[in-house]
Amino acid sequence: MKVTHSILMILLLSITIGVSAIVAFPNFSEAESELKTFVTHSGKVIRTTGEVIDPLYAVSSVEFDPMVYLREFNYGNVSKLSDGTTVREYTIIAEDDKVMEVSPGVFYNVWTYNGTVPGPTIRATEGDLLKINFINNGSKEHTIHFHGIHPAEMDGVFEAIGPSGGKFVYEFTAGPVGVHPYHCHVMPLEEHIIHGLYGVFIVDPKEGREPADEMVMVLNGFDTDFDTENNFYAANTIPFYYQHHPIQINSNELIRVYVVNMVEFDPINNFHLHGNLYNYYPTGTDLVPSFYTDMITLSQTERGIMEFEYTYPGNYLFHAHKVEFSEKGWVGIFLVNDNSESNESGKDYDS
Amino acid sequence: MIVSNTSKFKIIASGVIPFIFVVIMMMYIFGPGGDLLNFGVALPEVTIEKVDFIDSEIQATVRNTGSIPVQVVMADVNDRIQPAAVEPDGFLERYETTLVRIPFEWNESEPYRIGITIDDGTRFEKEIESATFKLEFTPNLAIFFAIIGTYVGIIPVMIGLLWLPFIKKISKQKYHFFLALTAGLLLFLAIDSIEESIEVSNNNLANTFNGTLLVVTVTVLSFLALYYLGNKIVAKADSLNFSKPVAIGLMISIGIGLHNFGEGLAIGAAVGIGSMAFSTFLIVGFALHNTTEGIAIAAPMSRGKLMLGKLAIMGMIAGTPAIFGAWIGGFAYSPFTSVIFLAIGAGAIFQVILVLMKWIQKENDGNLSNLSVVSGFALGMLVMYITSILV
Repeated sequence: MKVTHSILMILLLSITIGVSAIVAFPNFSEAESELKTFVTHSGKVIRTTGEVIDPLYAVSSVEFDPMVYLREFNYGNVSKLSDGTTVREYTIIAEDDKVMEVSPGVFYNVWTYNGTVPGPTIRATEGDLLKINFINNGSKEHTIHFHGIHPAEMDGVFEAIGPSGGKFVYEFTAGPVGVHPYHCHVMPLEEHIIHGLYGVFIVDPKEGREPADEMVMVLNGFDTDFDTENNFYAANTIPFYYQHHPIQINSNELIRVYVVNMVEFDPINNFHLHGNLYNYYPTGTDLVPSFYTDMITLSQTERGIMEFEYTYPGNYLFHAHKVEFSEKGWVGIFLVNDNSESNESGKDYDS
Repeated sequence: MIVSNTSKFKIIASGVIPFIFVVIMMMYIFGPGGDLLNFGVALPEVTIEKVDFIDSEIQATVRNTGSIPVQVVMADVNDRIQPAAVEPDGFLERYETTLVRIPFEWNESEPYRIGITIDDGTRFEKEIESATFKLEFTPNLAIFFAIIGTYVGIIPVMIGLLWLPFIKKISKQKYHFFLALTAGLLLFLAIDSIEESIEVSNNNLANTFNGTLLVVTVTVLSFLALYYLGNKIVAKADSLNFSKPVAIGLMISIGIGLHNFGEGLAIGAAVGIGSMAFSTFLIVGFALHNTTEGIAIAAPMSRGKLMLGKLAIMGMIAGTPAIFGAWIGGFAYSPFTSVIFLAIGAGAIFQVILVLMKWIQKENDGNLSNLSVVSGFALGMLVMYITSILV
């Protein structure tokens, strides 16, 4: 019996030490032996036998394509009234159950207009009659609140549209000229905005603008762990996307960017362009630029139009000069292709 | 025969049946009908247990300490996203660990916050007060640690042993005073070990390990194991040609050795992670503090014949673990090992205290409340407290 006792005691002790040894020493199980070399998005080189985690999206795997969104404008279903007024009809459906991979491997519940963050870019000409058929297929109340000039009952604030199929038609005359945001205005407002219920609304002047390669950039962010600080920033939702997939533009061609800042939590955002300066039209309401600069500062929903032309071909960064934002994804590249010869042929940017 | 067999069967059956019900319950909960119990949302959690700074790279050891599997998808330094590699991969089952390697040109002695983001977008962070090169094993450094271990462990213990001739010559009353002093010293050491292991576990281990209870459990287990084995040694002392004082001295030196191993771990780790600059002053503090440990061994040994060889061996048993501890702490630090060994050390010391007190009690005819014992014990605590301020 004494022998069994000591065996029991030794057993107890060895179990304790054994278990602690298992937990104590990291169990790097089934390590692959193959050594691979990667060049990461920051240019750093990693040699590893494991996986690379780099917030770098392949074109094929991205759920929301920032490259498509960039130059996609929705002019609606067009018809004419008897007095010659153009009527544009749009349908926008709100949902709040979608889980999107906002950055590689990071899944976040986005609330969407027509399935994307940002929602579709709505574009019209000043004076057009707009009819926006809004359907709320979400599980919460939602609305669309347009920035701009319209009657009080079209403001999308006091008439919350019920969930599971609630409908409303927002009807107003497009104006003023410029670039404006639209977003949900149901309380708690911050929650509805940061989950992704926003988009861009462009009103063109009747006389039109000079032809240009036009694009939309919504500066946004995601607070994926709900600590009222953004974990990711981006131009058009996907962090670092335009850095890995540069936006191709031509030299000696006018570029027009409609910029809208939708970042919450951080009081300011900004836009810095490399190797160039741009004419800036705050809110796009004036046809004469207010600044010629390479740096603008934007508060919440502050927006404007940037116009510039590159002379020299090559890669040019654009990013938040609040560098924290750029290191968390709000950074991109314009790849300027040499257009010095084909410049004369001209491209049709007619909308 | 048949009757006793059936009764034996009954006993076994009555012992096994509850187990069967436990198994059935588990199957019911985890089986097809188990959906009933799926309410609430399990929150994922990872813990960054260790951060090493090496040449142009920061390495974080990440453990899944939540209740559901997670995927490590992003790393950052000071809240700025950095590309990284995960070895072997980013998918972590419960308690699994992975190594996140972030290429980063870090600056020496600057503070860094290392962040890990998992698939649901939650970010976990660990703050490093001061970046220092991870200690790579070099013969020079090994010798350096051995020297520190010698200064902190062996030399002070040996110096303490030099009090033996003095203790030998004093009266029984004074002798009991010294034995009680030893017990006081040891009690202080035990509490010190527990405090330190709880501190290490609070700072480095996830809540899921129940740090405090882990320390308590390991301490008690270590106490029980050594108590049992110790009694065996004492009981067999005669047949093994040991005298009882030698047996007690041996147990004390084993207990102190375990403690010094933990202390060595702490010192090695502190040097390794750059949170402690090893000044001569600090070594002097530790040495003074540990000299008292020599007295603890000398006191019981003073009643037998003077056996220099055995005494030296005991001094080595008590002192050398500090060197091994410093090596492991410096070159292969794991907070979990530190916690475990500090707790084992505490249990060992408690066991030694018990043995000492029983011995004093026996020599005093069952009386512990005389002045020499009480004042010795009190002075032991006091001396340790005062020398601990130096460290």
